[in-house]
Amino acid sequence: MGRNVSLEMGELTDTAYYILLSLVDAKHGYLIMQTIEEMTEQRFSIGPASMYTTIKKLLAAELIQLFDDHDPKRKTYIATEKGIDLLKNEVKRRREMVSHAEEVFKKRGEQLI
Amino acid sequence: MKKVKYIPSGGLAFFEEKEMKKLAKYAKEGWILEKFAGLGYKLRKEESKDIEYSLDYQKEADDEYFAFFEAAGWSHVCSVGNEIHIFSAPTGTKPIYTDKPTTVEKYEREKKQMGKAALPFFISTVVFWLLNVFSSWEWVPESIGIFFQLLGMISLIILIFPGLPYLSYQFKLWKLRKE
Repeated sequence: MGRNVSLEMGELTDTAYYILLSLVDAKHGYLIMQTIEEMTEQRFSIGPASMYTTIKKLLAAELIQLFDDHDPKRKTYIATEKGIDLLKNEVKRRREMVSHAEEVFKKRGEQLI
Repeated sequence: MKKVKYIPSGGLAFFEEKEMKKLAKYAKEGWILEKFAGLGYKLRKEESKDIEYSLDYQKEADDEYFAFFEAAGWSHVCSVGNEIHIFSAPTGTKPIYTDKPTTVEKYEREKKQMGKAALPFFISTVVFWLLNVFSSWEWVPESIGIFFQLLGMISLIILIFPGLPYLSYQFKLWKLRKE
């Protein structure tokens, strides 16, 4: 109940989206945080509790997997094939959403910056 | 001069934010949280600190869990039963929860657990109450009715302990979802 609802629907929360995106290459937790902050120019950051919860959720949904757990403090993860597929679908879905909005604004003669 | 002080807790399930603010206020006066003590906190006199406190529920928290907090600037202060954890960080550090779905999950987990603990006592309270009602029939000795009434009361008193936090989490979730 509750736990995997958004993942089962094939939609990713923003947090899950960025974590999955940064795990296209294997990384450990702290590097995931850093990568996301750099990628988004500090506009999107993930708190440690949200991070831990979301990683556990992505693992349970088999969208990511353990890559190496030699050091229990710095486990590394990598996106699975299933995860990459879902990510690609998600990108497509979001791109469509953006283009719908662009069309609407274009018709009104307004420019989106 | 006194070095250690014990202060009562107002109940973390009910006043989580208020409690964390209270602890931050004490820290500003130099009373730093050391650990949970009974139904309250043990504070130790040190120099004044401008810090915030955050609470998380996480059963069987592992090394990685604490490493994430550390990396984000939150140092672990104390825990109860490796389940309730308090962290502190300089004021202005980014929060430990940054999105709604995971915040909701935090309270969902706790609610579920309290619900599990409350359920048997809820059932027994109802059953004893019903037995008490039925035993008011004439052919049942009065002492049996009193006996069931007593058991019902005991069940109800025990039920309050997980039951009230359960309702509190339920209310918190309702507020979160409404936002």
